[in-house]
Amino acid sequence: MSGNEEFLRLMAAWALVHETADEGWKAAVARGESAEPGEMSAGPDAFVDGLSAMIAAEKERLKAELASGKVEAPGSRADVAARLEELRFEVAELRGRIESLQTSLDAILADRQR
Amino acid sequence: MNRRPEAGGVASRASMMAWVIGSALCRGSLHVDARARTRGRAKALREAFQQLGPAFIKLGQVISVRPDVFSPELVFEMERLQDAVPPVPSDAVRRVIEQDLGAPITQVFARFDDEPVASASIAQVHRAVLARPYRPVSGPTLPGGSVLAVKVVRPGAEAAILADIATARSLVSGIGRWANLGRLNVEALLDEFAASLCSECDLRREARVADRFAFDFRDDPLMVVPRVVWPLTTRRVLTTEFVDGWRLSELDEAARAGIDGRALAMHGANVFLRQVLELGRFHADLHPANLFVTPDGRICYLDFGIVGRTEPAQRIAIAQVLAATVYGDADRALRYSAELGLVVPEASRARVRDKVADLMADTLSSPPRDVRAFAVGFLRIMHEERVVIPPGYGLLVKALVTVEGVSRALYPDIDITEAAKPYATRLIAREMLRPARLATRLPDAMRASLRVLAG
Repeated sequence: MSGNEEFLRLMAAWALVHETADEGWKAAVARGESAEPGEMSAGPDAFVDGLSAMIAAEKERLKAELASGKVEAPGSRADVAARLEELRFEVAELRGRIESLQTSLDAILADRQR
Repeated sequence: MNRRPEAGGVASRASMMAWVIGSALCRGSLHVDARARTRGRAKALREAFQQLGPAFIKLGQVISVRPDVFSPELVFEMERLQDAVPPVPSDAVRRVIEQDLGAPITQVFARFDDEPVASASIAQVHRAVLARPYRPVSGPTLPGGSVLAVKVVRPGAEAAILADIATARSLVSGIGRWANLGRLNVEALLDEFAASLCSECDLRREARVADRFAFDFRDDPLMVVPRVVWPLTTRRVLTTEFVDGWRLSELDEAARAGIDGRALAMHGANVFLRQVLELGRFHADLHPANLFVTPDGRICYLDFGIVGRTEPAQRIAIAQVLAATVYGDADRALRYSAELGLVVPEASRARVRDKVADLMADTLSSPPRDVRAFAVGFLRIMHEERVVIPPGYGLLVKALVTVEGVSRALYPDIDITEAAKPYATRLIAREMLRPARLATRLPDAMRASLRVLAG
């Protein structure tokens, strides 16, 4: 067998493995999608089918997300906004505690003046 | 015929405690069967604690979140204690508010109701109306005229309870010597009790936790956490938004109003899992009195007295234990429990594993799954096998069972394991796909694949 033929044979084997795996995957997704809630615990096969269906659903969501162009990398505006919101909460929390302390101080002063 | 000393009469408080607790333990020990005796003693002790009043009700509440120390029977019995006591007169409550806020009550609130809406051993709650607008830590401004809940520490409550504890210290120590109360360290328990009491009497701590929960769940339209009005909050006064609704025990009425109990129960379970597995803070003192359902079908959390915490490294192990439990895999559950500090000695590992597997088969293998029976049985096995239960682990097991109970109050046929499965599976999958983990596992995976191809 020539070098070219060996290469073609290798690629054909790869394609065959891929195709077989793909068919198995599609069948598992179909079985998982048709399963009733709770059937995932029926055994390892049922679990794999259920998990495959969940992954397929997530894949569709990811596809839609990518198509919408809304995916942002870490350090992006969404990431910074979340960190800002957390900081804003911490500052507001501090303000709340100071307000409470101010009330207690005012109460002590009012008590002394009585 | 039983005769008991008259309270406040001839007998002192100490002898009354000894009498009530002693006779309860004798009554509970009458059963021949050992398991029934343990349950009987737990029930009798709970009834005695209820009879002895606030200090013992609080002590019972501490016991109810410590399955690492006490037998599961005692822990789950103590959660039935009802913390409801007659209210103190409104004059005394007004005095506390005016002392702490430094102004007459008429200046502080637009209206204050003297009739309390709730009354427990440490504090009681009154309805009031906000006099002027306030911007809380998160969410929109509360307009003047908003209805408020004002929680006030009962005057003298802390001192009275501490006095009772001091009296009880020697008595409980004596009882611990002859009654099987579990792996009990009386001194440590009483210290912990006094510390938790002091912490509970400082309402600013609860206020901070409430605000944090309100912020954590700001994106959840089905969750409500009343926000704090800080200028009207001090050590003994906690002022928050007032949330109207039904306690879980009144849910028939809510169901009639057309609330989707099943969806709410599933959401409640998911909210708990989010607290444990994502946020790392969880409400560890849920019971029907501090959980409301609002007229518009949302869940309202109240009373953040006991909060459990989970570290990031623990969360994946917790998810693994949850997943292993709901899928009935005893080996995996024990392996990941060890990562959380629940280590079964090598010598007894096989026996414990078999017991846990049998228990899973009995309680969780088919609907209706009984999470509570599993938890009680699991803790019982650990007690019998002398396996040390880490406090955090015990608190989590207890909280999970409570959440299941609360979910069942919302929707009796709920299967909480169904809610846990996707959540735990997602978390585990996320962990499996972490680049650092993939980098360590890929070479092994490649070698395994090549071995299969070569074979």
